[in-house]
Order: sequence, then structure tokens, then C-alpha cells
Amino acid sequence: MADLQPDSATTAEVGADDTLPDTPGTQAPCSPAVLEQAHALLAAHPVADGYSGLPSALRRLSRHDLELGEPAVDTDIPRLREGHVGALFWSLHPPEATGGDHATTAALEQLDFARSVIDAHPEGLRLVHTAGEIIDARHCGRVAVVLGPAQATALDGSLAVLRALRALGLHVLTLTGTAWAGERGLNRFGEEVVREMNRLGVLADVSGAATATVESTLALSRTPVLCTRSAARALRPHPANLPDGLLAALGTARGLCLVPLTAEQTGPTVHDVADHLDHVRDVAGPDCVGLSGTYDTGVVHPRGLADASRYPHLIAELLRRGWSDTELSLLTWGNVQRVLRSAHSTARAAQHRHEPPPPQPGQPDGP
Amino acid sequence: MTSLDEARALLREFPVVDGHNDLPWALRKKAGYDLDALDISVPQNAQLHTDLPRLREGGVGAQYWSVFVPAEQPAPVAATLEQIDCVQRLLARYPADLAPALTAADMEAARRDGRIASLMGAEGGHSIANSLGALRGLYALGVRYMTLTHNSNVDWADSATDEPKAGGLTAFGREVVREMNRLGMLVDLSHVAATTMRDALDATSAPVVFSHSSARAVCDHPRNIPDDVLERLPANGGVAMVTFVPKFVLQAAVDWTAAADENLRAHGFHHLDTGAEAMKLHREFEERTPRPVATVTTVADHLDHMREVAGIDHLGIGGDYDGTAFTPDGLNDVSGYPNLLAELLDRGWSRADLAKLTWQNAVRVLGAAEDVARGLQATRAPSLATIESLDTGAV
Repeated sequence: MADLQPDSATTAEVGADDTLPDTPGTQAPCSPAVLEQAHALLAAHPVADGYSGLPSALRRLSRHDLELGEPAVDTDIPRLREGHVGALFWSLHPPEATGGDHATTAALEQLDFARSVIDAHPEGLRLVHTAGEIIDARHCGRVAVVLGPAQATALDGSLAVLRALRALGLHVLTLTGTAWAGERGLNRFGEEVVREMNRLGVLADVSGAATATVESTLALSRTPVLCTRSAARALRPHPANLPDGLLAALGTARGLCLVPLTAEQTGPTVHDVADHLDHVRDVAGPDCVGLSGTYDTGVVHPRGLADASRYPHLIAELLRRGWSDTELSLLTWGNVQRVLRSAHSTARAAQHRHEPPPPQPGQPDGP
Repeated sequence: MTSLDEARALLREFPVVDGHNDLPWALRKKAGYDLDALDISVPQNAQLHTDLPRLREGGVGAQYWSVFVPAEQPAPVAATLEQIDCVQRLLARYPADLAPALTAADMEAARRDGRIASLMGAEGGHSIANSLGALRGLYALGVRYMTLTHNSNVDWADSATDEPKAGGLTAFGREVVREMNRLGMLVDLSHVAATTMRDALDATSAPVVFSHSSARAVCDHPRNIPDDVLERLPANGGVAMVTFVPKFVLQAAVDWTAAADENLRAHGFHHLDTGAEAMKLHREFEERTPRPVATVTTVADHLDHMREVAGIDHLGIGGDYDGTAFTPDGLNDVSGYPNLLAELLDRGWSRADLAKLTWQNAVRVLGAAEDVARGLQATRAPSLATIESLDTGAV
């Protein structure tokens, strides 16, 4: 499996050979004063990064040490601290597309491996399940790790598997790759999955989902929905980027669009990323935009944003563009907190009202 | 006081820990996991061997619920998670009767509360799909033993009822045992080939269990335990939990089953065929040749022998209720355990002996597995081995 694959180029940015990586395109370099302001702001409101591929990247290595620094990946404790990252969502998406029981087993393995990495770095990382625990981790100087998103294929069509993955720590599920969340939106089983996710406190991620699925999930979910890796389609025609209509709908539903730092989706410069953030803020609203580092996922990052230490440079650019401190604190930290709190309280309320439904409604013989 | 009264009094103090009950699979097959449709808080004699009133009547104080799925199941890992989910839903639904239990201390606490400690056991290595990550997932979800195989071989271990292939455990099979030791998950050697039993006893550093197996010297069936293996239990510390399944414990029933299977094969059917025509032939056979009936004494004969070979500290009970169509007279369902104890009292077993058989041995073995795990976890990280890395030419 993943262990046998050659190491992929995890650290990559556009034009890494260019002389002034922090001076993208036509922009003037950030003044030291603005960069200092960005650091100060992030010290108060760190980054909650919505998508990190670190577990899969580490599985490809024979050994690793995140505490001392791990040059083979984009993310380690020193760089997380330098970049003021306070929380990470760890993607459990399998390295290659799989279905059926393989997808379930792969998800169990990813959860197990992610937990073992966290266990091995007790000084740097802490597994968390709620927004409150993220705050606790921060007070203890630990980077909080939220497990998810996992791929919907891992459920193999069973609510019982969803409940098992939740019991093992999963908090986000991406609604792609299955027939029940497809081009025609959620079917009846898909609706049942989203209701059960609400009841369990598992956030729905609709990045890359069909438009109809995004719409039906937004309509059905009793708690805000995430797009863990979506930028603005109006600026860049990538299939996972959201058209303005969906961005506005996401804003109305108080969901969260986490803009990925990938050259393919946002463009090759810090300036391009900032353009997307401006646009998403303007269309969805400042309460509905966040950041998704997408480090260690094998993608090419914009110039100047090659690893997890580079967030201050992005924030400096936004400061230069006139983002207020409040807007920035929501972008980096506050919005993710809100969405996690909402998922948690929705789940608590729902669990008082409903018992878990049987795993295979109407199908006595199972899948 | 009759022996039966004395047995009941004894069970109030030291209730039965039963090693294997297939209620979750029965609920899946009979009710699609609809716990309203098949409510075990009321008698379900027509449908099930097991319900809460009869568990109480039988003096059951702890139950390993089997999260069995057939090896032929298209998605065995997901189906195993569904079985675990079923047990969790039962626990949530009947909290006054069923107490979630993960440790020996939890079992004792449930006994003090007068609730039935509920543990889980997976039945067959196919439930982990050759993945130690999946094994750890099952442990994290509460599974406290895994039977290494069911009726057919897995890639890394031979079953008692399949053609020999690995000749016991492969290198990855030994790694599975080591990882189970590190986790504190009991290694269950019911269903496995004698070669696998011996290899596992060599590889394990914790006591093993046989969750539902009887003595091969009393009844020669591959599902039973040979004497040379029973003899190793004192050194290992493990527990053999006697099972009641007539076609394993009564020689006449073994022979009858063989003849019935042969009859089906002679008519061109597979012996496990449950199609209408095969079942008709089977019924006709049963009319001509009545099915031999096992009784409480049949099971007591096994226990007498197992006690002689393994010793009183290494015995337990694993009824396999709701996992078998036929049960012995007097042990017809989960209310029958007092009859077995009464028979043993009549045979001269002491109250102290019976306390070990019903409760103390099974609780001790789980506690011992926990102790071993604590020691191993101090020095050993989770195993990242794969079957590809350890078994050349496998899968």
C-alpha cells in the first residue's frame, strides 16, 4: 500500500527557484512592520488549518520525528509554531481511490496511524474532539489535531460504520465518491447519513461534491457545512471551486469555505490566494471563510507559501489589503471554532431526541 | 436443599461468564437489527435462545457477545463494525440489565451492581482483513477477544475445519498474536486447527481462551481441544470454555451429522446446502434416523475430563447460544446453566470449584491479559508489520 510508494514531492511551490519567493508578481514585498503585525495577530488568533495530508505523507516514510523537525514533509512542530498554527484537521482520505471493504479498512488504518503519530508526539500535538478542547490544547502549548475529513466511501453504505468511525475520533466526512451523494444530490440514504452525522457531531465536507449534493446538504444539515478545499470559481475554473451562487448559499447557511493554498485552485502567488479570500469574504461573508493549508497532500503551493510556517506572509498581505483584525481573527481561528461548537451542540441536542437508527433500514441482510 | 436450588444459590454469588453468544448475528438475520421488532427485554423463546429474562434465570453475570460475521460476507470489516454497533445499541437500550465492560474490574463492578457485564469477541481473523490497524480499531471499539479463524483458513492461520495450508500460524499470524498481547485482546483458539493452537501457545505471552470448545478425547471432533493442548493451559494460565453444541460434544451426534451430510452428497448436494430440495432430503433422513440428543451429562463428561487434564483453574463455559440450531436437553437456552451446575454438584464438584468454573477463571484471564499488555506497551510500539512484509508469497 502507501508504504511501498516512492516518496512524492511533498514540498513544492511555484517557481521555487525564483529569486524573491516572498515577492510574488507585481506585489511589493511586505514591509517588516506589517509582517510583525501579522505575527502579533496570529499569536492572538492562530491558524486552524482545515486540511492537512500529514498522516498519509508520514506513512510513506520509514521513520519520522516531528518534534525536532522533519524535512521530508511540509509540516513539523517547529514550522507549525513558526506559522502560528494552533489546530489542524488531518485528512484521512486514502492515497488512492478505493471502495467497499477496502475503503473501510483503509479508514480504520488511517485513524489508527494518525492516533499513533499523535501519541508519539505528546509535547507537540494533542488529539481533540471539541472546540473547547482546542482551546485547552492551545493553553497547554499543543497543536490541536482534529481527525478528518475521511472519504464517504469508507462507510461502505452503512450508518454503523459511520458510528464506529465517530467512536474512533472522526469529525469530518467528505460527501464524494458514493452513489448516495452524487450528481442528483443526496438520495434517501444520503439524507439519512447527513442526519446521522448531525446526530453524532460529524461535520459534512462538500468540497468536490456535485452541485446538487452541495445544495441538498446545505438544505438538510442542522449544523453548518464545510468546504474543506474550495476557492472561488469566479476567479479560477477548478471543479472543486465554488461558483458565486453556492458561495452565497453557503454564506446564508453560515457554512465555512476553507480556501486551499494550492496553485491549481487559487493561482501561483500569495496575491492570487488573497484575491480568492477577498472574493469569498465578499460573497459568502467574513463569517464563512477560512484557511486550508493542504500541506503534505502532494499539490503545488503558491510561491512563498511552501510549508506550514508561511501563514504570517499571507496574513501580512491581507493586512496590506485592509482586512480588519476582527475579519482576520475569524478567518484564521474564529470561524472554525464556531462551526465545531455548532456541530457539538447540535449533536447533543439531537442525541436527547433520537436513538441511533439501525444500520441498514429496510435491508435485513445488510449491504 | 436440592442440587438445583444449591446451584441457583451459588450462581447468585458467582454468576456465569459465558464465552460466546451469537445474539447480534441472530438479531441481524431475524430482524435486520430492528431492536423494536425483536425486543429482548421480554421472552423471545420462539425466536431466540437468548433474552434478558432467561439470562437472569440462567444466572448469567457476564457475556462475551460475539460480533461474528461469516468469512464469505462480501464486506467482513464493515459487517463486523455493524455487529459492534448492534451490541452498543443493546447496551444503550437496556442499561439496567447490561453493563458495558472492557476490563476484569468492569466485570466485577457489574457483578456488584447485579448487571450483566457485556463484552465483545470477534470470531475469525477475516474480521481484520490482514490489517493490524483494523485489529487496533476493533480493540479501540471494545473487542476483547478475537478467534483467530472461523470455519475456513485465513491467510495467516489454519482452521480446524479446512484443509491444512499454513501448518498453523504464519509469521504474520504470530505477529497478530503478539499485537493482540500488546493490546490486551485475548487470543481465542476455538475453531482453529490443533497446529494453530500449538503455534499460538508458543507465540503468546498472555493467557489464551477457548471461547467455545470441548474435549477431543471425549468426542473426536476437530472443533474440540486435544489433550496435549489442554495440558499446556496450566503453564499458559488460559481458560477452555466448554461448549454445548451437540454435533461437537456427543459422538453419536457427530456420527449422525456425518451420515446426514453423506446422504446429501450422495444425492448430489453440498452438505451445507439449505435449499428447499436439500432440506427435504435432510428431513426425510431425520425421519428415518432420529437425531441423537445430547444432555447435561454429555457436557458434564467433557468438564470432568477437561478438569482432569487441564485442572480446575482452567475451565469455563461458552454455550454458543443463538449460534447453533440444536442444543442439549436441559441446556436448551440461556436459562439452563443451573442444570449443568446441579449435575456437577451431584458429581462431587465443590462450591469453590464451581465458582472458578462459572466466574473466577474467566475474570482472571482477562485481568492477566491486561497486565501483560501494560508491560508490553511500556517497551513496544504498535506493530506496523504487513502480511506482505512477513509472509513471502502470501495473498
